[in-house]
Amino acid sequence: MVTRIDESAVVLIAMRNDVVLNLTPTELERYRRQIMLPGFGEDAQRQLKATTVLVTGVGGLGGTAAVYLAVAGIGRLILVRGGDLRLDDMNRQILMTHDWVNRPRVFKAKETLERINPDVQIDAICEYITPDNVDQLVQSADLALDCAHNFDERNWLNAACVRWQKPMIEAAMNDMEAYLTTIVPGQTPCLSCIFPEKPDWDRRGFGVLGAVSGTLACLTALEAIKLITGLGQPLQSQLLTMNFNHMEFVKRRPYHDPDCPVCGSLSFTQRVLDQSVRSAPANSLDWVALNR
Amino acid sequence: MTVKVLIPTPLQKFTRDQATIECTGGTIAELLDSLEQDFPGIKARLCDEQGNLRRFINFYVNSEDIRFLDGANTALQAGDEVSIVPAVAGG
Repeated sequence: MVTRIDESAVVLIAMRNDVVLNLTPTELERYRRQIMLPGFGEDAQRQLKATTVLVTGVGGLGGTAAVYLAVAGIGRLILVRGGDLRLDDMNRQILMTHDWVNRPRVFKAKETLERINPDVQIDAICEYITPDNVDQLVQSADLALDCAHNFDERNWLNAACVRWQKPMIEAAMNDMEAYLTTIVPGQTPCLSCIFPEKPDWDRRGFGVLGAVSGTLACLTALEAIKLITGLGQPLQSQLLTMNFNHMEFVKRRPYHDPDCPVCGSLSFTQRVLDQSVRSAPANSLDWVALNR
Repeated sequence: MTVKVLIPTPLQKFTRDQATIECTGGTIAELLDSLEQDFPGIKARLCDEQGNLRRFINFYVNSEDIRFLDGANTALQAGDEVSIVPAVAGG
């Protein structure tokens, strides 16, 4: 399905069933304005349609990222978020409506997204990420968006994505600051490389503007779209830090720990493969991806 | 050796709400001592009881993680920018 030798897209293709999906006349019209983007085209649209994205945390960040994946024509979304909608969620959770307060938010997210784009398959799971459910969820998807509101869920998702070699977009915020990176196991630092330990965290202990979580969400969805389609350059091995008070956006080089307890063995395998690839014939990236 | 230090929001209560401060130090370790002199209490948030840098905080010198360099002994040059980036989990 991928004609360009693009590392990130090849990784995804290798982990996805090689299903060629045709676009309907409605889809061709719905997505016409993005299909005309240079470097996008109908191939990229078909890749989106063939992709399943797991979104953990469906609040101001994950819910808004899901909107932009849905309108872009992602094939399937798996939304995972326990708990009921609270009134103080309503300043940022744009999939919700006032009359849904005190009801499970993930089902409202599914309902709203289906009304926006009925062509997207949406699975709503009213649970938090746990050690018991994370492996099955990650295996069900081609990539994951890490948008949870606590470090436990983020750590479990990171470890499962490494275990099953699924890319993960890491997005997190606090007050007027945020960061974003794209993790491809074996190629980039994982969350544990970047932050080997996590601090105590009060999920409601900071302020948040909907425009801030929404901005981060748009960038998160864009990273996923880039990774799926090969468009542009995703933030692989780059940590984009954002200060919204001063509108300072900086790309940094986060540490890739060769001895990381989560992804260190993959990094070793990748180094061996890279050495083989250097003496391999053209299209060797396909070989690397397909042999993972 | 004067460098610019970017302070994340959770630590700005130690720096009188300043997000950017000018500080001195020939290495990251010296910089932390200098910060503590100017803003008492901040070092304990950046280092553990043994004086090691906390592992849930990244330190970048001009966008490079100091673990690629020489850790707390990373040398600083005048005009360098040191960024402190803590792990966060808001979603």
